[in-house]
Amino acid sequence: MTTETTTRTPRKRWGHGKLKRRLAAAAALSVALVATGGLALFVSEQTDNNVATAQTDQALVAKGEELYNAACITCHGSNLQGVESRGPSLIGVGDAAVYFQVSSGRMPAARQEAQIMRKPPLPQFDPDTEVGRENLDALGAFVQANGGGPETPAQTGAALRGGDPARGGQLFRLNCASCHNFTGVGGALSSGKYAPALAEPTEEQIYTAMLTGPQNMPKFGDRQLTPEEKRDIIAYVKSVTNGNNQVGGLDLGGVGPTTEGVVVFIVGLASIIGFAMWLGAKN
Amino acid sequence: MSPEELERLAGTLDGVEVVHNAPRFPVKGTRAEKRAERSVATWFILSALSALGFIVAFIAWPHEYVAPGQDGYGWYHLYTPVVGFLFGFAVLALGIGVISYVRKFFPEEVSVQQRHDGRSPEVDRKTILAQLAGAGRSTDIARRKLITRSAGAAAGIFGVGIGIAALGPLIRNPWKGGDEAALWVTPWRGENGETVYLRRDTGILGEISRVRPEDMEPGSMETVFPYIESQRGDDEALLHAQRASDAPVMLIRLRPDTPTVKRQGQENFNYGDFYAFSKVCTHLGCPTSLYQAQDNRILCPCHQSQFLATEYARPVFGPATRALPQLPITVDSEGYFVARSDFIEAVGPAFWERRP
Repeated sequence: MTTETTTRTPRKRWGHGKLKRRLAAAAALSVALVATGGLALFVSEQTDNNVATAQTDQALVAKGEELYNAACITCHGSNLQGVESRGPSLIGVGDAAVYFQVSSGRMPAARQEAQIMRKPPLPQFDPDTEVGRENLDALGAFVQANGGGPETPAQTGAALRGGDPARGGQLFRLNCASCHNFTGVGGALSSGKYAPALAEPTEEQIYTAMLTGPQNMPKFGDRQLTPEEKRDIIAYVKSVTNGNNQVGGLDLGGVGPTTEGVVVFIVGLASIIGFAMWLGAKN
Repeated sequence: MSPEELERLAGTLDGVEVVHNAPRFPVKGTRAEKRAERSVATWFILSALSALGFIVAFIAWPHEYVAPGQDGYGWYHLYTPVVGFLFGFAVLALGIGVISYVRKFFPEEVSVQQRHDGRSPEVDRKTILAQLAGAGRSTDIARRKLITRSAGAAAGIFGVGIGIAALGPLIRNPWKGGDEAALWVTPWRGENGETVYLRRDTGILGEISRVRPEDMEPGSMETVFPYIESQRGDDEALLHAQRASDAPVMLIRLRPDTPTVKRQGQENFNYGDFYAFSKVCTHLGCPTSLYQAQDNRILCPCHQSQFLATEYARPVFGPATRALPQLPITVDSEGYFVARSDFIEAVGPAFWERRP
């Protein structure tokens, strides 16, 4: 993604005092030292990781293959090539797609229908348990080893919430709200398909859904929505779902005029009529 | 006459006859009277306290946005309910106080008033007419033709002026500019022959992010807006291009080898798997951006029209009758998407003069 920001001339805040120059020099030096040290540490850790992962990768992929053969092979085939009228090929879908589909319970699918629904994940793939996370990792590694594809983000949980939910909201309304509604309560598509509500998905699931475009959702690759923009969108979604958008005390489902109209008609009109009857009643 | 007698006389002159009138509390100073007085006053005092509370909350309660989970969210998110409840209760308690005062202390009274006849007595009608005619004669207005006509002209022309001022802003000529009229052209036309790029909105005002083919995965959709280089740094112009109702375009990248049908005369409007369609529905102008990546249908949320992205966005379901206009695109030597020209047809709902 090419980003060219129009720069504005920064306002001058510092004077020209000698003390200030010296302080600034000292600060710059310490920043540079810390940065160099940090970078060195980072690089050495990276190399260590590379050696370690080369060995664990093989074991992980083997474990993933075992899990795949137990849970997925019927519909996706022994070489991930897919099975006619059962399931698509999984070559190149990446471990992000595996994480989204399996951790949200959509896979293994219960049956063929307009849209595979979210349901509680299989116990061995429950992302809330240690074993489940390990199995998801292994299964993902196996699929990733066969054709690559988008990968799950390094961070998890609240670390995937960006710092600018307002900008996330703008991006959400532009890219996501047409199907998922502007407060993420979801909406209908054609012929029994629908965009699901966004209250239940975890941060990782929202992130991997954007990356992989499950079912009828378009893909939002990292050059279309940068990882930072994705995190801001997640921050916005989390700020408007699960009761976080009830500034008035009761959001009535957050679906707009339908429920609000019913409440105004029944509660509002009934109380006005009751008041009028009290006005006219004889003592 | 005493005040009481005058009061009765007023009723009699209006034809009002009091059938029954009894005070609520014939004996002053009873316990029941005191209790009634207190209950009315209680409502007024509650209203006063609530109004005071409203003033304090309106000024002092934290009202600046606090995101959920941050410090102070608990106080902030009660702002609207607290201010609303105190304001509403102040009005309601004031009303209940007034009504219960009327019901508790106004005397029980039944009165009867005779209705007037339909028309005034003959003598009133005759005298009034004569009076008006006499006024006209004595002020000489009937004879002063110059004054009546000039006054009529003044009042009439002023009235026409008011009418023009009221109606003028409602009258627009949609055909101003001929072939360049606003209904025919969109911001994709560009200005002064400048290249029009496809630009995405990053949510940051002033940030310019032009779209390149490698930015989009197969099976993806992006909303893009027109951008010309002379708008760089001009936030107002950038925002205007983003907000113009006929500007939004869906740039869709189909998956490779998707079979497509192209419209006659628009065979080269796409760039490989990239197709750009106007986002404005041809039925009533809603944003049709519900792109289903599996079956390549584009849905309109308002009236359920469906367009097939693989077949020049022709309508396949719902009330829309025309295909979404397609924007001719290509990639320039720097690798950015550019519009080859404006749309070749009018964008959005049909209108009388639209060529078929």
